[in-house]
Amino acid sequence: MDIILGIRVQDATIIATSKAATRGISILKDTDDKTRELNAHNLIAYTGEAGDTVQFAEYVQANIQLYSMRENDIELSPLATASFVRNQLATSIRSRKPYQVNCLIAGYDTKKDQPTLNWIDYLGTQVELPYGAHGYAGFYTTSLLDKHYRKDMVVDDGLKLLKLCLKELETRMPIDFKGVYVKVVDKDGIRSVELD
Amino acid sequence: MSRRYDSRTTIFSPEGRLYQVEYAQEAISMAGTAIGILSSEGVVLACEKKVTSKLLDNDGSAEKLYIINDNMICAVAGMTADASILVNNARINAQSYLKTYNEQIPCEILIKRVCDVKQGYTQHGGLRPFGVSFLYAGYDDRYQFQLFTSNPSGNYSGWKATSIGANNSAAQTLLKKDYKDDLTLKEACELAIKVLSKTMDASNINSEKLEFATLSLSKVEEGKVIHKIWNDTDVNALIQDSGVLNDKSTEDD
Amino acid sequence: MSDPFSINGGSAVAMVGKDCIAIASDLRLGNQSLGVSNNFEKIFGFGDKCFLGLTGLATDVLTLKETFRFKTNLYKLREERSIEPETLANLVSSTLYERRFGPYFVSPIVAGLGHKDNKPFICGFDSIGCIDFAKDFIVSGTASDQLYGMCESLYEPDLEPEQLFETISQALLNAVDRDALSGWGAVVYIVTKDKVVKRVLKTRQD
Repeated sequence: MDIILGIRVQDATIIATSKAATRGISILKDTDDKTRELNAHNLIAYTGEAGDTVQFAEYVQANIQLYSMRENDIELSPLATASFVRNQLATSIRSRKPYQVNCLIAGYDTKKDQPTLNWIDYLGTQVELPYGAHGYAGFYTTSLLDKHYRKDMVVDDGLKLLKLCLKELETRMPIDFKGVYVKVVDKDGIRSVELD
Repeated sequence: MSRRYDSRTTIFSPEGRLYQVEYAQEAISMAGTAIGILSSEGVVLACEKKVTSKLLDNDGSAEKLYIINDNMICAVAGMTADASILVNNARINAQSYLKTYNEQIPCEILIKRVCDVKQGYTQHGGLRPFGVSFLYAGYDDRYQFQLFTSNPSGNYSGWKATSIGANNSAAQTLLKKDYKDDLTLKEACELAIKVLSKTMDASNINSEKLEFATLSLSKVEEGKVIHKIWNDTDVNALIQDSGVLNDKSTEDD
Repeated sequence: MSDPFSINGGSAVAMVGKDCIAIASDLRLGNQSLGVSNNFEKIFGFGDKCFLGLTGLATDVLTLKETFRFKTNLYKLREERSIEPETLANLVSSTLYERRFGPYFVSPIVAGLGHKDNKPFICGFDSIGCIDFAKDFIVSGTASDQLYGMCESLYEPDLEPEQLFETISQALLNAVDRDALSGWGAVVYIVTKDKVVKRVLKTRQD
C-alpha cells in the first residue's frame, strides 16, 4: 500500500513517497523516507518487501558511490545508474531469494541537460517514462496524469499536478498513508520540497 | 648468479628489480615501432610491419591494429600471440560494461582493467608476464580523444604523442620536436609517416611496411566515433601526400 | 494470470516478400491490465539487414537484447563482418537452450536478408530455442492467435516492399486491436537489399 510517484517535467523530476511504514494492520512510523540518494543527481525511491527494500537501495547506493570514488568523482549518468539497478534486479529475480523491490529512479543528466524518470520493477523491467507509479497508487493516479500532463510543464506545474494526484489518493486509498515526502531532482542536485 | 632472481617472475632481485618484467619490456623494444598522435580532430595510430615475405598469405586484415569497441582501437608492440589474449579480454570487458550500464566504457576504465590483468602476472607466480605494450586510441564523453600506452608491468599513461617498440626513444625525440597542440588529423597523419620514415630501417616506405588507423568523429551523427583501419591505397596516397618520398629522393641525389 | 509470457503483453510479426522482409511489433508495455509505457519497442537490429523481435516477459526481452548485442558485437570484431540472419537464428537457439531448465520467458522471431545474396530469411522460436522455419510469416506474443488469423487471410507470396508494408501493418494492427495486452502504437521495419525503412504507426490508444 506504499505510494511512490514520479513526474518528469521540463527541467526536473519530482518524486513523492508516502511517509507511513506499515506492517500488517499497524502503522509503525509516520516519518519513513522511502528514498536514497545514489549520487548528486540520482535518487532512488522504492517499495516492496520490508527489509529487502532498504537493503537493496543501500546496496546499489554503495556501489554507485564506489564507482564515483574509483573514477575521480565522476558520476554515473541516470541511464547508467538505472541500467545498473535493472541489471541487479534482473540477476536477482533468477536467484534463490530474489529482492522484492520496485523502484523509481529520478535523475538529471548534467551532460545532456535532461531530467529522467526510470520505472523499474522487481523483475527487472525498466522503462523511461514522463510519469509513473508503483502499486495501487498507479491505478488511481495514471488516469489523472494522462489527462493533465503536458510536455512543457515546469517544477511548479508538476507540483500542482502532484497535489491533484495526492488529493485523489487521500480520497480513494483505504488507509491513511500519513502524507508524502516530496523531492525534486534538477541541475542543482536533489532537494526536498514542502507541499503547502 | 643472476639466474637466482630472474627465473621467477615474482621475485625481487637484491637491487629491487623484477627481471622478468624488464626482459619482457626488452623484447618489446625490439618489436616493430608503433606511434600514436593525438589531435583535436582525432587520433592516429601507425605501426611498422616487420619482415614481409612475398609468400606470406595474409587475409588482408591488420596484424598489429585491433578494434576494441565502437570507441577504441589499439596498436600492439611485442608478441602478437600474447596481445590477442589481452585484446579479447579488453573486448569482452568493453561489452560487459555496455551490458550493465548501457553506455560505452570510458577509455581509462577499460585500460585499467586490462592493466590489472597484466599486473597480476608480475605478482602471482608460475607464469611469465605478457610480452606486449599497447597504444590505445579512444574517445569518450569525459575527456574526448585520448591516447594511452601500457606495458608488461601493468603501468599505463596518457600522452599527446608517443611511441612504443623499436627505436621508440628516437621516435619520441622527433615527436617532441614536431608536435604542436593545434594539429589537424591530416597533419597528425603526415607527422606519423614522417617520424616512421626516419625511425624505420627500410630505405623507402610503402603500404607493405605500414599499418595505419585513425579515430575521428562523424560529421553526420553527433557523438558517433569513426574508426578506420586504412587500406593499402589510402596509406600509399598518404605517404605520397606527406612528401617523405620526395625528401628521400633528393637526399639520395 | 501469473503466466510470465503475458504479464507485460506485446506482439510481433515477420513476413517475407519479394527480395525483402518486414518485421513489426506493437509498443505497449504493461503490468497485468495496467498500461505502463507506450514506447517499448520489441524489434532490435543486429548488423545492417538482420533483426530480432522479442515478445514475452519484458525483463527477459531487455536481458536478451543486451546479451545478443554483447554476442553479435564480439562476433563482428572476430569475423570482421556482420552476423547473417541464419547465424543469428542459431545463436538465439543455443543461447535459449542454455537455460533449458529455467528458461527466458520470451518468444523470439528473427528476420533478415543475407548480406551477400540478399536472400530473405525468417524464423521463430519457442522459449527454449527450438527453431520454427517458415517461408511466409512468423507470429509471436499475446496476440499470436489473432496474428495467425490475420496473416493467413492477408498474406500472399512475392509482395513488393510497399505492399508488404501494407500487409504486415494491417495484420498487426487488426490483430492487436483484439488483444487487451497488445497495441498502444506499432513499429514496422521494411528491409530491402539497399535500405532499411522504419515506420512508426499511430494506432488506437486504448
